[in-house]
Amino acid sequence: MDWLIEQLKDQLVFSVVLSLVVFAAIMTAVAYCIYFERKISAWMQDRVGPNRVGPLGLLQPMADGAKFLLKEDIIPAFVDKPLFVLAPAFALIMGLAGFAILPWGGMVDLDGDGVVDVMCQVADPGVGLLYLLAVGGMAVYGVVVGGWANNNKFAFLAAMRATAQMLSYEIPMALVILLVVMTTGQLGLDDIARSQMGEGNLWHVCHHPVAFFIMLVTLFAETNRTPFDMAEAEQELIGGYHTEYSALKFGLFFLGEYAHMIIGSGFVIVLFLGGWHLPWVSFLQPEATSVWAMLAKMSVFATKIAAFLFLFMWVRWTLPRFRFDQLMRLSWKGLLPVCLMLFAYVTVLLYLGRQTDLMWTLGGNGVLILLVLIVAGTMGVPVSGRQGNLSTLPWEGAVRAR
Amino acid sequence: MIEEKDIINVDEPELTAGERLYLPQIAGGMRTTLRHMFKKKITVQYPEQKRELRTENYRGVHRLNRDEQGRVACVACFMCQTACPAHCIHIVGAESPWEDREKYPVQFDIDELRCIYCGMCEEACPVDAIELTPEYDLVGRTREEMIFDKEKLLMVFDRTKETKPRKNPKITGYSGTGCADEHTVTERGEAH
Amino acid sequence: MAKITIDNQEIECRDGIPVLQAALEAGWDVPHYCYHPGLSVVASCRLCLMEMQLPHPKTREMGWAPKLFPSCQTPVKDGMVVRFDSGAVEQNQKACMEYFLLNHPLDCPVCDQAGECHLQDYSYKFGESESRMHDQKQVNPKKDIGPQTLLYSDRCVMCTRCVRFAEEVSGTEELCIVNRGGRAEIDIFPGIPLDNPMQGNVVDVCPVGALLDKDFLFKKRVWFLESGDSVCPGCSTGCAIRVDQSDNRVQRLKPRYNPGVNEWWMCDEGRFGWKYVHDVERVTRPRLRRGAEMETPAWESLGEIVRYRFEQQVDRHGAAKVAVLLSPMMACEEAWLLAKFVRELAPDATIATGFVPMVGEERCFPVGCNADDAKFVIRREKCPNGRGVELVAEHFGGSTCDFDGFVTKAGEGAFEAVWVVGGYSEEWVPKALATSLAKIEMLVVQDMFESALTGEAELVLPACAWVERDGSFVNHAGLIQPFERAINVPDGARRDGQYLFGLAGFEGLYSGARVRALMAEEMDAFREIAEAPRQPAHQH
Repeated sequence: MDWLIEQLKDQLVFSVVLSLVVFAAIMTAVAYCIYFERKISAWMQDRVGPNRVGPLGLLQPMADGAKFLLKEDIIPAFVDKPLFVLAPAFALIMGLAGFAILPWGGMVDLDGDGVVDVMCQVADPGVGLLYLLAVGGMAVYGVVVGGWANNNKFAFLAAMRATAQMLSYEIPMALVILLVVMTTGQLGLDDIARSQMGEGNLWHVCHHPVAFFIMLVTLFAETNRTPFDMAEAEQELIGGYHTEYSALKFGLFFLGEYAHMIIGSGFVIVLFLGGWHLPWVSFLQPEATSVWAMLAKMSVFATKIAAFLFLFMWVRWTLPRFRFDQLMRLSWKGLLPVCLMLFAYVTVLLYLGRQTDLMWTLGGNGVLILLVLIVAGTMGVPVSGRQGNLSTLPWEGAVRAR
Repeated sequence: MIEEKDIINVDEPELTAGERLYLPQIAGGMRTTLRHMFKKKITVQYPEQKRELRTENYRGVHRLNRDEQGRVACVACFMCQTACPAHCIHIVGAESPWEDREKYPVQFDIDELRCIYCGMCEEACPVDAIELTPEYDLVGRTREEMIFDKEKLLMVFDRTKETKPRKNPKITGYSGTGCADEHTVTERGEAH
Repeated sequence: MAKITIDNQEIECRDGIPVLQAALEAGWDVPHYCYHPGLSVVASCRLCLMEMQLPHPKTREMGWAPKLFPSCQTPVKDGMVVRFDSGAVEQNQKACMEYFLLNHPLDCPVCDQAGECHLQDYSYKFGESESRMHDQKQVNPKKDIGPQTLLYSDRCVMCTRCVRFAEEVSGTEELCIVNRGGRAEIDIFPGIPLDNPMQGNVVDVCPVGALLDKDFLFKKRVWFLESGDSVCPGCSTGCAIRVDQSDNRVQRLKPRYNPGVNEWWMCDEGRFGWKYVHDVERVTRPRLRRGAEMETPAWESLGEIVRYRFEQQVDRHGAAKVAVLLSPMMACEEAWLLAKFVRELAPDATIATGFVPMVGEERCFPVGCNADDAKFVIRREKCPNGRGVELVAEHFGGSTCDFDGFVTKAGEGAFEAVWVVGGYSEEWVPKALATSLAKIEMLVVQDMFESALTGEAELVLPACAWVERDGSFVNHAGLIQPFERAINVPDGARRDGQYLFGLAGFEGLYSGARVRALMAEEMDAFREIAEAPRQPAHQH
């Protein structure tokens, strides 16, 4: 036991062990995500959901997994074979890569000698947020490569849609992240999390509620979840970017999507909701460094993630899918201007040194919401149907004139 | 012809500022779904529980009716095959071995996988020999098994005649020319 | 040309034809049962009655006659005025239809005529939907009147077409009417069945389901049938026929109107002579000898193989050692393509015309008449295109010979590379030919069934039945008649025309008309092609 603790005091060993533990946990979680997705959808539709495999259907994920493994893995003759094989792996790997920098439990004193031994995080590069953006940017390749390799025009169309969508929503997302960076002056994730704790510090969501909301919306878009799941519109695209995929490859896409959701939730929690921190609980403060505190922090973090996953599913089974033009309009004409205004405002606050002053930040958010309401209320642009400011098509003249 | 005065132009409703933000609507929708999460579930646990069916007009597996003497009531007129939009009925007709009947099916196959259960065959049948039964839980391990032949279809009749009696057992078929008995004659007299 | 006015519309019509015929040809759908253009007129069904203007017996003034007149029995006269759309005519049609249906069993669901039955059509178009008959229907027996035909007396409308056919066309007079009035029915004389080589036509002329063909009985409902216009290959008469098929299988053959050739008729030999088409013994795959082995070459590589082997023979033995035997079962187009191919490879090749089966004597109908008065002739030459292949052989000229000449020459060892075409439904190879051709180096046999020759052949090609091909036959009188494909070739086979088209150096899809256009450039006879006239749809 002592020998084990001695070994774990090395950050590298600890990181390796942690990454293994996290990987196993995430994969299980992802499998059960699918189970809960089905359960929650059923409950929301007054149904019972999977209940045949094991008690309460709890073994359903195993059955699903076994099915994915045992099904015939079809590689159609017309696909681009190397890319076709690569794409699902890519989707999953990019989904999982982000876990490396999630701060699970802060500083840990393993042997109780009062000296902090390791950090409960696989890696903490100083530029953690850049890594996050990089990995997020790569995630689109799983979908694009998959859609391209399919050699199926519908899948390709889906991939194109997904690319446009992800690029569009990455801009507001990056701006929102930038707000947090400007507020804290930090790029490392653990540092950002820590900046929301302790005396006089509040979770960033208190300072930037609008930014938090925008982050949430862009997260839905980045993970391709309803109402932004343009990449897998069965009605128009047969299936989506994975039309030609079957068996395990199809399963990997699924796992990738849920891994993406988990990691996305983790980042929002770190950026806005204090990571593993809960106010007024003594062992959830950065000062508590015991092993038990670490485990408590990890479970708090996991619970926050679970709450987010529920939100993802709840939204999915409530909202219909956007039409593509509506989706684009939301990003470019809605989120982006708001983000830029917020960005400008925080810059001014930064200049004045008031970036953590609750009154100033919240006041700015309030004014912004009011502004948006006024603009939206007076603009008179139809929310659905054809965009109002498009030039009149020649054959429509008569209709418009009336 | 549609007249100008009958045309009503409908514009999109003007939205308020709140509606334009979508958010109140989204919140409303999410409240609804959340409420449903805790409602009573309406799922029927199928193999253990079964729904009550309306036996008279449920359109399940076909059956070939038998007449009073236990012979197949079909006269092989091919009307069902003609009416079938899915082309799932295949009949081979032949001269019947019975005195009072002209033609009968030596072979009568229905591809239950191809069938769309529209009930047109039942409508088309002039002697009410083919009917759709309330049986719906049919399974098979092969496609061949799901092509029901005459024997199988008659067996379905034997199975279901209690739950769904034959609609019009009086019509027994077109008798061989020259051997018509009294009731078929009047039966025919009414028609045309 | 007489001009008559029907329903205020002036039409021109041939002189001497009945008003009914004129109306039918001009497009009126006049109901009629007893009238048939090929038979004498009896005016017994009364369905075709029309109102007519006649001169007043005393004043000679033209005026509407008080009664209706049978239009089938009234010949057209210039300036005639008749009415078909009047109330009286309609009333008559309704009354007649009700009368015809008094005792009708209404067993359409099991009646084979349903779908092409004129009782159904006329009842729908001209009759009432309800019958006032409340007495018991009179039930007539079903009679087995001959080896091929059944008579369902209760479906009969007593139009007597069948009786007149047996009297006037076949001349065999087996059928008659027994009893009188409401009890009248068609019957045969005791012990004398309806059994003559033309008897199948009584089923065709019967407008209702009273006379049915045992061969087709209960086989298919007629609305499932799809037809192709064809020419009968049974003898050199070249009757125009309709091939009714369903699910790619021939179901029955029916004659088409073809003036001067077969009129409205065809013989039973042709009518039932298609069974070999679906024989399982047929050759359906090409077969190539490679060393001691037989293999099935791909159709795509066939042209190359044949060309290469023939060229080899020409190099070795000279072009004069090549011969082709054109079968009179081939279409002219196929014969032309094959001859063209062979002559191109070997300009000195012999073109021989194939075996012409001759059976018995010419049989003229009505029975007992002489050839000049015959209404229908069954020829002794049992192949459809003897004239056609002769025409093609003549066109190519050079070294040609007939079948006997070919057998003799082959016996003398005049050939080393021979392409033999068969396509007969029966065994045809003479022993002498088989033994002499067994010795030669290169033998290509194109035939439907295995024979002594196919066993010896280097290359065996499947020949298709005429219903699977299209092209044209030249009948005994030199009339070129095109026929179209009715069904698809058996699995593995290809249309003769198609592969010969490829061999002769053309690309694309073979069609009879396409090749005829090419032939017309060289052969005057193919400039104009006779096609049997189409009858009005409602004439039967």
